[in-house]
Amino acid sequence: MAEKPILCPDKRPVLTLQETLRKPSRFRLYLWRGNPPGIIPEALALITALVMFIPILYVMVRGFQGGWERWLTLLDTRIPQLLWNTLSLTAVVSFGALVIGVGAAWLVTRTDLPGRRTWAWLLALPLVIPPYVGAISYIIVFGPQGLARNILGYSPVDIYSFGGVALVMTLFTYPYVYLITSAALKRFNLNYEEAGRIAGLSYPQVFWKIILPLLRPAMGAGFLLVSLYTLADFGLVSMLRYTTFTTAIYFQTGSFDRQAAAVLSVVLILITLVILWLEYRTRRKQKFFQTAGAYREAEPFSLGRWRPAGLGALGIIASAALVLPLSVLTYWSYYGIARGALDSRFLEYAYHSLLTAGIAAAACAVLALPLVYLKSRHPSFLSSFYEKLALAGYALPGVIIALGMVFIFNNYIPALYGTAAVLVFAYIIRFLPQAMQAESSSLNQVSPHLDEAGRSLGYPPWQVITRLILPLIRPGILAGAALVFVNAVKELPATLILRPPGMDTLAVRIWIEASEGFYDLAAPASLLIILISALPLKWLINRF
Amino acid sequence: MKAIELVNVKKDYPGCSVPAVDNLTLAVEEGEILTILGPSGCGKTTSLRLIAGFERPDQGRVILAGRTVTGPGQWVPPEKRKVGMVFQDYALFPHLTVEENIALGPPEENRKAKAGEMAALVNLKGLEKRYPHELSGGQQQRVALARALAGSPVVVLLDEPFSNLDTDLRSHMRREVTKIIKAAGTTAVFVTHDLKDALAVSDRVAVIKDGRLEQVGTPVDIYRHPETEFVATFVGKSTILDGEIGPDHCSVKTAIGTIPCAHTHNLPAGRPVKVSIRPDSFELDPEGDVRGIIKETVYGGNEIEAVLKAITRNGPVDLQVHIHPEENIREGSELRFHVLPEFVAVIESPDLPHRPAGGRQATCVAEGIS
Repeated sequence: MAEKPILCPDKRPVLTLQETLRKPSRFRLYLWRGNPPGIIPEALALITALVMFIPILYVMVRGFQGGWERWLTLLDTRIPQLLWNTLSLTAVVSFGALVIGVGAAWLVTRTDLPGRRTWAWLLALPLVIPPYVGAISYIIVFGPQGLARNILGYSPVDIYSFGGVALVMTLFTYPYVYLITSAALKRFNLNYEEAGRIAGLSYPQVFWKIILPLLRPAMGAGFLLVSLYTLADFGLVSMLRYTTFTTAIYFQTGSFDRQAAAVLSVVLILITLVILWLEYRTRRKQKFFQTAGAYREAEPFSLGRWRPAGLGALGIIASAALVLPLSVLTYWSYYGIARGALDSRFLEYAYHSLLTAGIAAAACAVLALPLVYLKSRHPSFLSSFYEKLALAGYALPGVIIALGMVFIFNNYIPALYGTAAVLVFAYIIRFLPQAMQAESSSLNQVSPHLDEAGRSLGYPPWQVITRLILPLIRPGILAGAALVFVNAVKELPATLILRPPGMDTLAVRIWIEASEGFYDLAAPASLLIILISALPLKWLINRF
Repeated sequence: MKAIELVNVKKDYPGCSVPAVDNLTLAVEEGEILTILGPSGCGKTTSLRLIAGFERPDQGRVILAGRTVTGPGQWVPPEKRKVGMVFQDYALFPHLTVEENIALGPPEENRKAKAGEMAALVNLKGLEKRYPHELSGGQQQRVALARALAGSPVVVLLDEPFSNLDTDLRSHMRREVTKIIKAAGTTAVFVTHDLKDALAVSDRVAVIKDGRLEQVGTPVDIYRHPETEFVATFVGKSTILDGEIGPDHCSVKTAIGTIPCAHTHNLPAGRPVKVSIRPDSFELDPEGDVRGIIKETVYGGNEIEAVLKAITRNGPVDLQVHIHPEENIREGSELRFHVLPEFVAVIESPDLPHRPAGGRQATCVAEGIS
C-alpha cells in the first residue's frame, strides 16, 4: 500500500563563493539555535563587546595582582573608613530620594493639588542639573565665602559636613525615584484600588495596603538607581570635600599609586555588582505589576486642609533643587559675562566638550547597532553574552574606567596615551550602554516579522537592515546618540584623568574654577551644561 | 508538478523534549490551496517558516518547484526562494505607503506597473498613497496579500491570516482571499487552528498534532472520514467507541450495538478498531436501538447539542448527539436513536501496530486531489 512519493530529479544548485562562505557549520548553527547572523555583524558585535570589557577586566586583574600584603594593609587602613563613608552616604541619599520622590509622585499624580501638571514637569527638571553643578550653587550660597554668610553672618547649613553632602546629593538624584514612581502610578491598574474601596477600606488603608505594596518594585528600582548614582559620583563629593571610594581612587591614580587604586576599584566594582544584581531582580518583578488595557485616570484624592502643606512641600523641593541653583548660576553668569568670562578660552573649552562628546555619540550610535540587532533578532546564548560584555561599563564609576584606560594605553598603546582618542574611548565605554538601551527599545517595537517580510521579498540581510529597518528605528538611534552626547559633556572624573595636557573641557573648567573660588568663571559653563542636558529631556523622561 | 515538497523534515528546538516538526512529509500541487490545521503549539507555524527559510530543519529536504532549497549541504536563503509570506500581524512597513509596500517585491523595472496591477487585484485602487496605519484591518490584510503576490512567488504562505479579524470580516475575507489567490493562480499554504477557516478556504487540509502529520485530505474527507482519533475529535465533535469489524465488512460491533459504516479500510472481520460517530449520525427514532437518558443540552439555534447517557450491556456510555431544534427535549428525558452510516468512520485501533510512518506519508501524497 505504501507508494513512495516520486521526487523531481534534484538539480544541485551551484553555490557562489559568497554563499559558500555564508554557509554556517553545524556547531555555529547549534550555538545560534539554527538562526545564525551574518559574519560581519557578528564580528563587529564581538569586537565591540570585547573592547568594552577589557579595561574593566584589566583593572580587576591588576587589583587582584596586588597580592595579599597589599590587600591586608588596605583592608586594615583605608577600606573600613571608605566603606563606611561610601555606604552611609549611599544609604542616606537613597532613602532621602525615596521619601521625596514617592511623596512628590503621589502628590502630583493622585491628589487635587492646584497646578498639578506644572508641578509634574517642574519636579522632573532637576534631572538636567548634574550634581556637581548643583553643588557649586550650594557652595556659592552656603560656602565659607557664601551669600548666606555675607547676609546672615553665619551659614545655616554646613555644606561640607556629611549632612550637607547628603542633602545636596539627594536634591539632585530624587528625580529618578520621582519619574519611575509617577510613571508606575499612572500605569497603575485602578481596579486594585477600587476593589480595595469596595471591600470597605478607607483611602489611607488603600494607600498603605494596596498602593504602596504594588509600587514596591518601582520604588525599589528608583532606590537602587539612586544608589548606583551615588556610588559612582565623583564630582559632587570631591567638590564638597567628602571622601568616598571614587575620590580615593582618583587621588591614588593621580599619585601614581595605581596598585592601590586598582585594589580600591575592585571593592567598588563588587559593591556595584551587588546593587546591579538587586536591580536586575526588582526589574524582573516589576513586569508582573504592569497594567494591561486602557488607561484610566484616577479620581484625585482630596487633600482638604492639607493642601497648603502639600503645596509647601513641593515648593520647598522645587526651590531647593531648581530655583536656587538656576538663579544663583544665572546671577553669577551675568556677573561673569559682564567681566568677560565668554572669551576665546571659554569657546575653546566648549569646542573641546562638543567635539569629544560628538565623536563619542556618533561612535556609540553606530557601535551599538550590531549588538542590539543580534540581541533582538538572533536571540541566543551568544548574543546575550556579547550584550552583557558590552554593558560592563554600565553604572561603573568613571574613575574606574579611566584607571583601566590608563593601564591599557600606558602599557600597550603608549603612542595614543595622552591624546583625545583615549578620552573619546573612555566616553564610549561608559556610555555605549545608553545608546544600546535607546536603540534596543526602539528595535523591540519593530516586529521581527518585518525583517522576515523583507527577506522573503528578496532583500539580503544587510539590505533588510539598511533599507527597511534603519529608517524605522531612526528615532531610537538619535535618542541614543543624544543621551551619550549629553552624558559625555557632563562627564567629569574620566575627563580629569585622561584629558591631554591643555585640552580642558567645560566640565573640567567648572571643577577647577569652582575649587579655586572663581564662581563667575564656573557659572556660565555650568549654565551651558544645564542647557545642553535639557536637550534630550523628552527622551529622558519617557524612558521611565 | 508539485509546488512544494517536504521530505522527512524534522526540526528540534534546543530545550524542548518534543520536536516541533517530526518527520513531516507533505506535497502541495501547483495551484492548490492547502491548509495546515492543528492546535496551537503543534508545529504548524514552524512548518511554514521551514518552507520560507526562516528556520533550518535538523533533517530532511524542502523542494520548491523542483529546486531543493533545503537539504543536506544545500541551503537557499529566504530572499532567493521566491516565496511570498502573509504574516499574522501583516508586517507592513509603517514608513512606506501601500504602493511602496507592494512594490518591494517585484524587480526594479516593472515595480510601478506591478504595484498598480496588484492593488487592483486586491481591490485597493485609490488607496495606494495611504500609510498602513490609515487602513482598516481587512485592508491591511489585502496589502499584505498583494505584497506577497507581487513578486510572482512560487508559493504564498499565510500564517493565521484571519486571526486578527472580527467574525463578520473574517468570513468575508476568507472568501475574498481565496478568490484573489485563485485569480492569481498561485499555490498557497495556510496555517490555522480554526476549523472553519480550514474547511472554507482549502482544496486540501493537513491535520498536524505535536509536529506529526495525522491526516491529509479534502475538507469533506477530513470531516467525514477521519483516520485518527485526534482528527475525529479536533475536526468537529465526535464520539469515539471501541468495537470490532463486523462479518459483513460494512459495520462495526460496539457496546451500543452494530453500527453501519460506509468505509472500513478493507480490514478483516473481527479486527478490534475504534469508530468515530459524528453527532449528526444519530437520528431520533422511537424504534431505534440506541436508548438513553439526556444528560446535558445546549440550545444552539439550528440544533440542540446534547449528551446522551446510553444504556448498554457494558454499562452507561456518553454519546454526543444533535437533535432537531423543534423537539422539546429536557434533561432527564429518555430517548431512542438510530445511527446513519454517513458520518461514521473507522479509526484503526491504537493497540494495533499503529500505521507505519512511511505508509501514512505515502497515503498523504497519493491521496492528493487529481
